[in-house]
Amino acid sequence: MNIFLLYLLLLKATLTSFSGLASLPVVRHDFVERYRVLTDRQLTTAVAAGRLGPGPMGLYVVSVGYFVAGVPGACAGWLAMITPAFLVIPMLRFIGKRAEHRRAKSVTRAVLVAGGGLLLSASVPLAQDAIHGPLSIGIVALSFALIAFTRVDTFWVMLGAAIIGLLAFQF
Amino acid sequence: MTRPTLRDVAWLFLRVGNTTFGGGNPTIAVLQREFYQRNWLTPEQFGIAFGLGRVTPGTNLLAFCAAAGYYILGLMGAVAAVLVVTIPSSILVIWLTRVCEAGAMHPLAQSIIAATIAAAVGTMIGASVLLVASEFSKSNWLKPLVVSIGAFLLAYVFALSPLAVIGVAAAVGFFWVEA
Repeated sequence: MNIFLLYLLLLKATLTSFSGLASLPVVRHDFVERYRVLTDRQLTTAVAAGRLGPGPMGLYVVSVGYFVAGVPGACAGWLAMITPAFLVIPMLRFIGKRAEHRRAKSVTRAVLVAGGGLLLSASVPLAQDAIHGPLSIGIVALSFALIAFTRVDTFWVMLGAAIIGLLAFQF
Repeated sequence: MTRPTLRDVAWLFLRVGNTTFGGGNPTIAVLQREFYQRNWLTPEQFGIAFGLGRVTPGTNLLAFCAAAGYYILGLMGAVAAVLVVTIPSSILVIWLTRVCEAGAMHPLAQSIIAATIAAAVGTMIGASVLLVASEFSKSNWLKPLVVSIGAFLLAYVFALSPLAVIGVAAAVGFFWVEA
């Protein structure tokens, strides 16, 4: 895939979401379903790789870029991740406190909440790809519960899962 | 307010942004403490940077870093903050992706990768619940419930593209403003 198109598609995903992983449904729609340059397994691996290191949730797009086009693709992913952040500067200068306007807030909050529903919908095929037996069902359920109901950091969830994978292989 | 050098600002963002695990909120919390200790930002500036970071598209943490960097040192501060927060962690992510790819053929690595992938799926489902739950309150529960379930159904059952669903949600937010 052309690097510029890769950047534009990833930018479309980051520009239309208000939270790190909320860009995932658009990424999956374009790269897995439409252009077929990424598999569901690679997409989930990208999310896992993004969570194993420090940094923002949106980092997984760098890994997506790498899967699609190697290191230049990763650079395109990095650029697509940081581009929207600079929109805050004109907003600081011209909007300031007006961003607190009720209707503007209402639109942002509705898009944020819709992102939750979209992310759940995009997780279904990824779960079908990742679940192969009782152990993987258990890991999905446990990591879901830890993220949704406790304050455990995702890094520890990933590390714990890696240790379970290691032990499952040994025994 | 004290005006630090570009090197001071870059060093703080580099240190905090690349050593704090868990994404945006823990990182912003650590940065807030550091800014106040150094007298680099007023509470009001922090509040605006945080609020605008939430309503800027993309990753909230990066928009917050750009806004805070801009308040401290202007455009150079914003660019420096975003670059030092993202470059080291991006290099690490590329390396981790390569490790996952290289290990895909080895049975032990396969077992570990399969387990972390299952955890990533659980994390995504958990993140979607947290996204919706963050907007729920006693006085405002109907709209988040309708919009989140509606978005799920439009995408999953009616196979509407994510961008179209976001457009519908924005329209609902525009016309349905909570009291």
